[in-house]
Amino acid sequence: MKTFSSLLQSEITKTSAFVFKNWIMAKRNVFTVFEVLFWPVITFLSVGLLAEFAAMGPGMKAFILVGAVSMSTVQVCQLDVAYVLLYDIWSKAVKHGFMAPVGLRHLFVGSLVAGVVRGGAVFVILVVASRWFFGFDFTVPGPVPIGLFLGGLFLSAAAVGMLVCILVLVLGNRAEIAAWSLVSLMLLLCGVYYPVSILPGWVSSVAQLIPVTYFLEYIRRFYGFEPSFSHALAKGYGTVLFYLCAETLLMKAALRHAKRSGILLKLSE
Amino acid sequence: MRIGVEAEGLNFAVEVKGLRKTFASGLLRKRKKEALKGVDLCVPQGAFWGILGPNGAGKTTLLSILSSLLTPDAGEVIVLGKDIRTHASDICRRINLTSGNANFLWSMTVRENLAYYGMLYGLPKKARSRKVEELLDLFELGDFAHVQFNELSTGTKQKLSLAKSLINDPELLFLDEPTVGLDPDAAHRIRESIQRLQREKGTTVLMSTHYMREAEMLCEQIAFLKSGAIRACGTPQELKRELRLGDTISVTFSGPLRAPRLEALEGVLRLQVSDSTCRILVDNHRSRLPGIFDFFVDEKATIHDLRIQESDLEDVFIAFAK
Repeated sequence: MKTFSSLLQSEITKTSAFVFKNWIMAKRNVFTVFEVLFWPVITFLSVGLLAEFAAMGPGMKAFILVGAVSMSTVQVCQLDVAYVLLYDIWSKAVKHGFMAPVGLRHLFVGSLVAGVVRGGAVFVILVVASRWFFGFDFTVPGPVPIGLFLGGLFLSAAAVGMLVCILVLVLGNRAEIAAWSLVSLMLLLCGVYYPVSILPGWVSSVAQLIPVTYFLEYIRRFYGFEPSFSHALAKGYGTVLFYLCAETLLMKAALRHAKRSGILLKLSE
Repeated sequence: MRIGVEAEGLNFAVEVKGLRKTFASGLLRKRKKEALKGVDLCVPQGAFWGILGPNGAGKTTLLSILSSLLTPDAGEVIVLGKDIRTHASDICRRINLTSGNANFLWSMTVRENLAYYGMLYGLPKKARSRKVEELLDLFELGDFAHVQFNELSTGTKQKLSLAKSLINDPELLFLDEPTVGLDPDAAHRIRESIQRLQREKGTTVLMSTHYMREAEMLCEQIAFLKSGAIRACGTPQELKRELRLGDTISVTFSGPLRAPRLEALEGVLRLQVSDSTCRILVDNHRSRLPGIFDFFVDEKATIHDLRIQESDLEDVFIAFAK
C-alpha cells in the first residue's frame, strides 16, 4: 500500500518531468532567445515608439504599453503549454509519453510552471524596458494587483495552450499553427491596443468571452482608466476557470478520439 | 479456443479474445481498413513470444492496442490480469514498449532522456539516478551519456529505446520490430541484450518482427498474423509440421535408382531426380534417414555426397504469407 507521502512524491516527480522537458528543450533551442527576448522587446519598442510619435499622453501610453507587455507574456507562456505536446510531435516521440502512467494534470501543471517561468521572465524584461525607455512604471498598482493580474494572464495562457493541444489531437499536426495564431486573434479581440467598447456590437460580445479582456480592464483601472465592466477580476477568473475545466474534459475526449482514430500513433510517425 | 492456450491454470500476461480494429480515413472518414479481424491470443507470463507477419498484417496495431495507445473497436483485451479499457493507467505502470526507428526528444542527451522517462514513471530521484546508471551500463551507453539524441547513430538510438523501455522494470515488454534498419552487428547485439534480459529477469516479451532469424533465435512461440487474423500459432517446429514443409535430403549418387520405389517410402513427401542427384523432401529427416540409406544399399547405388537442409522459419513465413 502506497503511503500519502510516496504518492505525493510520485505526483511531484511526474509533474516536474514536464518542467524538466520544457526547460531542457528551451535551453538548447535558439528560438528561446527570440521568443523570450527578441520578438517581445522588438514588438514592445515598436509599439512604444509609435506611442511617442503619436504624442500620446501618459495615460494613453500606459494603456498601449500595458497591452503590449500583457500579450507578449501570454504568448510566451501559452507556447510552453502547447510545447508540452508539440515537442513530442516534432521529435516523433508522442507514443512514449502517452504510454507512461501520467495524467493530464501532470502534463499541464508541469508545462504551466515552465510557462510561468518563461512568461514571467518576459514580463520582468518588458516592465524594466517600459521604465527604461518610456518612463512608464508598471508597478504602480502594487504587488497584489499585479500578482492577481499575472495569475489571470498565466491561467489564460494555459487555456490557450490546452486548446492548441486539443486541436492537434483532434485534427493532427497541421493544427499546430494554432500555437501562433490564437494569440493573434486575441490581439484583435480583447482590447490590447484599444478599448473593447470601440469594437462593433457582436465582436464586442465575443471579446467578453475572452478572459484576457477582463484582466486588462482590471489592471488598467490602476492607471486611471474607467473599466467598461464591473467586477472585471472576478469575471476574468470565472471565465478562465470555466475554460480550464471545460478544456480538461475536452482534452480527455480528444485523447480518447486520438486513441480511437489512430491519430496518436500517426503523430509518432 | 484462444490461440496459445495449452494448459488450464496458466497465468497469462496477455489475453485477447475477438479483437477487432478498423481505421477510417478520407475527408468524410468513409474509407475503411479493417486492421484486425477478430484476433484471439493468450501469452503466458514469463514467455517470449513472436508475432510474425507481412507488412500491413496488423502487428503494430495489435501491439499498440496492448500497450493502450489505441482503443479496440470490439473484443476483450486483458493485460496482466486487467482490462485495458478500464485499467489502462494501472497497466501502463507495469508495461513498456520499444519500437524500431526509435525517436526521442532531439535536444536531450541519452542520460536526460532516460531521466525524463524515469520521472514520467514516478521514480524518486535516488532510485532514478541508480536506474539510469544501471541502464547506461547494461546497454554500453556510458560513452554516449552526454550526447544529444539527434547526434546518435541508428544503433545507439535503438539501444536507448531498449534502455528506456526498461526504466520501470516492466513485467511485460512489447518489442515492435526492435532491430529494423540496424546493421547485422548492431542487430545481433540488440538481440543478445533482449535475450539476456528475458532470461535474467523473467520478463514476458511479445515481439513483432519480420526477420525470421530473429524470431527463430528469440521466440519460444510464434503467432503468425496475416490480414488482421492469426493464421497459426506454435513453436517454429510445430509451424513447420503444420505446413508439412519437411526437410530436404539431397543425395549425389552413382548406380541404378528406381525413383517410384523411393517416392513410395514412408515419410517421403516429394522427389526430384536428375542424373546423379536426387532431392528427397521428407517429413522429418531424423526418422527417415535410416530408411533412405537402406533403400540406396538395396538398390546397390553408391552415395557420394549427402546433405540435409532443414526448413526454416523463412519457409514457414513464405508459406503462410502466400
